[in-house]
Amino acid sequence: MSGRLLDNVFWLAGLLMVGVIICFLITPIIVTTIMAFDARAYLGPLPPPALSFRWFAQFFSDDYFLRGLTTSIQLAVISVAVSVSIGISTAIAVDRVSFAGKDALISLFLSPLLVPPVVIGFALLLFLSHLGLVNGLARLMCGHIIITAPYTIRATLAGLSGIDRSLTEAALILGATERRAFWDVTFPLARTSIVSGAIFAFAVSLDDVAVSIMLTDANTYSLPVALISSMRANFDLSIAAASVMLMLVTLTLILVLDRFVGFNRVIGQGVFRS
Amino acid sequence: MQPPLEKIIEFRNVIKRFGATSAVDNVTFSVDAGATVSLLGPSGCGKTTTLRLISGFEDPDEGTIEIAGESMLGKRPYERNVGLLFQHYALFPHMTVAENIAYGLKHRHWPKAEIGGRVREMLRLVQLQGFEDRRPGQMSGGQQQRVALARVLATGPKLVLLDEPLSALDAKLREELRLELKQILTAVGSTTIVVTHDQDEAMSLADHIIVMNRGRIEQQGTPDEIYMRPQSAFVAAFIGRTNWFHGRISGTPGDAFLRLTTDAGTVLAIPGPGPQRSEKWSVCIRPERISVASVEADANRPGDNLLRGQVVDVVNMGAEIHYIVDGAEGRAMVVEPNREGPRVRKGDNVRLFFRAEDCVVLAQGDG
Repeated sequence: MSGRLLDNVFWLAGLLMVGVIICFLITPIIVTTIMAFDARAYLGPLPPPALSFRWFAQFFSDDYFLRGLTTSIQLAVISVAVSVSIGISTAIAVDRVSFAGKDALISLFLSPLLVPPVVIGFALLLFLSHLGLVNGLARLMCGHIIITAPYTIRATLAGLSGIDRSLTEAALILGATERRAFWDVTFPLARTSIVSGAIFAFAVSLDDVAVSIMLTDANTYSLPVALISSMRANFDLSIAAASVMLMLVTLTLILVLDRFVGFNRVIGQGVFRS
Repeated sequence: MQPPLEKIIEFRNVIKRFGATSAVDNVTFSVDAGATVSLLGPSGCGKTTTLRLISGFEDPDEGTIEIAGESMLGKRPYERNVGLLFQHYALFPHMTVAENIAYGLKHRHWPKAEIGGRVREMLRLVQLQGFEDRRPGQMSGGQQQRVALARVLATGPKLVLLDEPLSALDAKLREELRLELKQILTAVGSTTIVVTHDQDEAMSLADHIIVMNRGRIEQQGTPDEIYMRPQSAFVAAFIGRTNWFHGRISGTPGDAFLRLTTDAGTVLAIPGPGPQRSEKWSVCIRPERISVASVEADANRPGDNLLRGQVVDVVNMGAEIHYIVDGAEGRAMVVEPNREGPRVRKGDNVRLFFRAEDCVVLAQGDG
């Protein structure tokens, strides 16, 4: 009897916890979204009496933000392109050969996921100024490549490990060179994984604050850094508007990812028999 | 018509080591044009490594490999004219059936205009017309197998390698496809090496069998020779079912029959002339060479063997009946064709009858 009662209590506690977590995840986002459309010129209590796009308009009329946005997009696009190339080549090299310390090497490649971003940012700042690299965009680029590469490496590795080695061998014995076999067989089959790695990397680059804030200079800063600085100077709701837009971008990426991965999964159904 | 006996592949003293062990240990064999040869052995016997050496996925540490008279040393897989049917087909999942079959043609530089026709010809050969636009994932195992075969044969390779070609299929389908595979290979006249651990596959597909064990060739010959006259205990034990007797041989050299005195004291007639040294020897007899006789049966000719025993199990396998008989020499298995059901019942006392000529005498080995 008491066993059953305890079971029920634990069930309830579990459900309650799920509820609390959902509240803490969703509520702030809802509040931010509502505030972004607040028509009042000052920070007032919820709910806002009227809705408008004024904070969005203000965001887009602010050169400081726009500059951050431009830099962020440049950073994201270029660093993702670079990390995807790094990810593919590293993953292939590591996947193809086996040697002592392979796992350790992979862990090293993935270590930026574990090292606190502040540490990465600070270390990189010191290192790059020793090298004499003071250009803000170049510095940010280095930082973003370092924090995004683990995502592309890991995703590509996962994709490659799902590809039967005999498929490549089949291509070779049918007359394709190693390079041809890669482009005809390995790459198309790993593409889904590579794309999902790229999308993750893009989101990471777009959202990063901790590394970027270390590497920013007076003229080059990413949007999240701009948002934080302006929040300290004069807090207004254009930050909420920017947050909503960042969330929209992330949401879009997630939808694209789901679509892409889901789509391919249907096409490739039941293919990896061996 | 006798085909010209050109050697399609020549394997000479090939050694391949992985670490301290030799996966292929001084192997020499050759395959004539148009022949179907099987590399047969248990897993780890070196047959797969041999296949990979021929394909070019591995390079030999010592020895030479020639295909159609040309040395393959240092040649990449794509520089060899060899076709390989993978055990799990290795069809490209993201390509259609037609694209899969055309893949080799494209990379072997067939004129674009001829590729479409060749793909259709291949699909006709494997009876999969109309499947051009399917993807491998939408086909059954047997169909995938045929597509894979079509892909291998499309470019007309000098040598076709089949890696456990039927093992991934269920028993019924295996039998159907085995026959079809043989017909297709005969129709295109290809030289074929079948790598397998399954003796049925080897016996039914190949006209020459190379039995491998621990990286070495144990014996080679026709399926009949391998089955009827195994030259080592390993071959006798690996191919088919065998009853064993161990003991010492006595008799006069030159006699038609010698005697084997087993450890349990039974005296058996065995074929002579043979070895007389009093070391330990093994004698094997196939279960279908033994028949179950009544207790009253007598040995009336020289070379007849009769052993007492009691039936412990009778299994009706449909086409044949298996009798398990326990006697002084341990457990024996008898296989008889099923004509009118079992002739004796479990618990019956019987005598086992077999002729000395049907016994094979082998040095005691690791079989």
